Amino acid sequence: MASERPLDTCVQIVTPENIAFEYRLAGPFRRLPAFVVDTLLVTTGVVAAAAVLVTALSFLGLAPLGWGLSLVIWFVASWFYGGLFETLWNGQTPGKRLARIRVLTVDGEPIRGWQAVLRNVLRVADAMPVFLYSFGLATTFLNDRFQRLGDLACGTMVVVEDSPPRWAVAQIREPAALELAARLSAALELEPGLSQALSTYVMRRGGFSWSRRAEIARHVAEPLRVRLGLPRETSPDILLCAVYHRAFGMEHATTELTTTAESAA
Amino acid sequence: MKVARILARRQQSWYELESQCREMEQGKRRRLGPLFITRFASRYRAACADLALATTYQLPPNTVHYLHHLVGRAHNQLYRSRSLGPSVLAREILIDVPQRLFHDNALRLAFVLFWGGFLGSMFLAYVSPHYTQQLVGEDELTKTEEMHAKSVGQGAPPFGGAMAGIYISHNTGIGLRCFAYGLLLGVGGLFVTLSNAIFLGAIFGYMATSPHRDNFFQFVTAHGPFELTAIVVASAAGMKLGFSLVDTKGRTRGASLRAAARDAMPTVAAAIVLFALAALIEAFLSPSSAPYWIKCAVAVVSSGLLLCYFVLLGYPRSPSDAV
Repeated sequence: MASERPLDTCVQIVTPENIAFEYRLAGPFRRLPAFVVDTLLVTTGVVAAAAVLVTALSFLGLAPLGWGLSLVIWFVASWFYGGLFETLWNGQTPGKRLARIRVLTVDGEPIRGWQAVLRNVLRVADAMPVFLYSFGLATTFLNDRFQRLGDLACGTMVVVEDSPPRWAVAQIREPAALELAARLSAALELEPGLSQALSTYVMRRGGFSWSRRAEIARHVAEPLRVRLGLPRETSPDILLCAVYHRAFGMEHATTELTTTAESAA
Repeated sequence: MKVARILARRQQSWYELESQCREMEQGKRRRLGPLFITRFASRYRAACADLALATTYQLPPNTVHYLHHLVGRAHNQLYRSRSLGPSVLAREILIDVPQRLFHDNALRLAFVLFWGGFLGSMFLAYVSPHYTQQLVGEDELTKTEEMHAKSVGQGAPPFGGAMAGIYISHNTGIGLRCFAYGLLLGVGGLFVTLSNAIFLGAIFGYMATSPHRDNFFQFVTAHGPFELTAIVVASAAGMKLGFSLVDTKGRTRGASLRAAARDAMPTVAAAIVLFALAALIEAFLSPSSAPYWIKCAVAVVSSGLLLCYFVLLGYPRSPSDAV
């Protein structure tokens, strides 16, 4: 199954509802900024805590206790920072939140506590030899889910979390296209590939010049024109817009078909 | 049916699902009523159906992308992991974990290896100082001698806090490294266990013959049981992971490793707790000038607790518990 699909950085999750939706995987170079930010945060946090503790306790004459507590804090932070945040923030640390990536299990479920802790503890195995992270990088590249050793042991993966997409269905406003659409049969049926090509074209045509539009549209418009029996002078761009308008039933779209739920967010 | 009509019909339901997702993400899950949950579930199923029929409906690509995202978001809200209540945690710590540890073959192997190596090395070092010099090196030996030249109690307890921090980070770091090196196909774990055992045994045996013997044993008695057990447990966890890569019992290596990681979690947690306790005792009690019988008592009590936890609580209760 996996060998037939082209190599891609998306992973499909099949849910109990029997649908497959896609997550986009985060590769090592997408995870690197998150790691850098996390390391910086841990270092500054530990140094700040140490400074505060030592000065505060030295006023009480207990400076060595301050150093001891600072060492404990350093130890806890360096081994358990990642695990703690990934458990509480549903798979994200501050660095990951900035880079907008998230840790999930390979089944697409939220990460559990022990998985978060263990994958961060095993980071020491990934960091070998000598903190160069060679083992971790090598494992990431040899894997089809960009998993390092810690991820492999726990069954987790890191996915990119896009901001919620907005969608708007393109509507045709050229009068020539609308007039041509009115002349087409209402029972116009398109194959799925053609319909997808049309919707993609109509969505993107605004960015092209007129001559470029004609050039792109010509390849699909010519067979369509022959099929529909329209005169030779029909502009390819107008033809595609008209077919889209008719086949997608846009004349019945009385309201703006777009997302507005996110505008308040 | 025409795409525009489908979209106009389903749009409202998608917006409502999205706003429900947002409410759940903001953490108000417990205050949502059953009606909310029912509506959420039915809208989720409807959105799943829309996604499944996206190609049949000939939906535009950006709408399909939006539906992927929406369904993914709702899926993450609907399928959540269970939270651990305190009663579940207590049952896990006091009943499940000791039983699992008792039946852990890697732990038995680590125990035998460590104590065998330790006692053998200690005997050899006791009998022949030449063995220790060859094994450990002259500098390490003189350092250890100097460390215990003064009797304990002359290092003042005010340094206890700093030393506790150092011991905790150092020793637990060693333990976690033992665990992680065990990933190297288990051979790393075997090597680490044996080398630690032989080294420690040599030191013990050598110091038993040296003139500073009393100081040394005064120092190590109190935290000895916890620390030595902690090393055994940490290497056992690492070996378990490593062996699972080699002996997969019919599963793929990845699945075997994942299953072993899940089983090794309580062992790792036990090792960390033992290391922390050992470090605390080592920092505060061992260098203090408390009389020797107190340190012995601590050692005996800690050994008793360990026996209790690993053997008494772990012994199979009924025939069905025995693995």
